[in-house]
Amino acid sequence: MKVAVKQWHAVAYWKWDTGATTEQDANADEDAEDDVCGICRVSFEGCCPTCKMPGDDCPLIWGQCTHVFHMHCLLKWLNTASSKQQCPMDRRTWVTAERKVDR
Amino acid sequence: MLKIWSMKKNEETAAKKKPKVSAAQIRLQKDLTELEEFKTMTTDFPDPADLLHFNLIITPDEGFYKGGKFLFSFNISTNYPHEPPKVKCMQKIYHPNVDTEGNVCLNILREDWKPVLNLNAILVGLQFLFLEPNAEDPLNKEAAEELRRDREAFAKNASLSMRGGTIRGQTYERVLATP
Ligand SMILES: [Zn+2]
Ligand SMILES: [Zn+2]
Ligand SMILES: [Zn+2]
Repeated sequence: MKVAVKQWHAVAYWKWDTGATTEQDANADEDAEDDVCGICRVSFEGCCPTCKMPGDDCPLIWGQCTHVFHMHCLLKWLNTASSKQQCPMDRRTWVTAERKVDR
Repeated sequence: MLKIWSMKKNEETAAKKKPKVSAAQIRLQKDLTELEEFKTMTTDFPDPADLLHFNLIITPDEGFYKGGKFLFSFNISTNYPHEPPKVKCMQKIYHPNVDTEGNVCLNILREDWKPVLNLNAILVGLQFLFLEPNAEDPLNKEAAEELRRDREAFAKNASLSMRGGTIRGQTYERVLATP
């Protein structure tokens, strides 16, 4: 028998590299906190409440403290006077890391 | 991949048609689904469509305020969670951390607020204020002073105040859970 491919559909799935290892992924049910932005509580693969499409237009931002947020959510927080430029998670002074920080 | 730009356009027009749900509402909805069941606290939404304004009823089952029923109003701004909810006690009560206007002194509602906190954290904090009033951070200085000096006298006055009694010239509201 000979098969000719007439049509095909590619399906891709993407995820930000937030530093969660596969081992952590396996425990995702126990610690779902790792997969959502702590500010808006929407998943990292979704977008912040002011954006309409997830992806490069609504990127993530890492702090040197290893915490991750939607960039837009974090900037909005840092722009409020009460933030005192501190991380929303641990209240340490926010220092943006160049990229993901290994935990 | 090629279609992402046209998808974005479609998304934008779709978003314009939808009624606008604020980010605060979306986040609050999540807070409410994650809200634990507390046996001493219940929430009350006078207008179920308005998540930003609701009441909390605390009925402590131990401590100085056992037998009381305390009402708090929550006003949440559209900037939530970047701003903490505004929480006020709706009764005039005798408490070191609540003034006679109903302002509440709880660190996470003020200087220690951070947007990763949620309603659960605030409810736990308020409940704790009734179990362990804090004399170090007073809004009602006389009540705090009394708690620090003489816990027994404070316990008597807390109980008197809940029955609508008068303490040092201030008459408090009757807040007993049973009529
Ligand atoms: Zn976010
Ligand atoms: Zn965004
Ligand atoms: Zn941090």
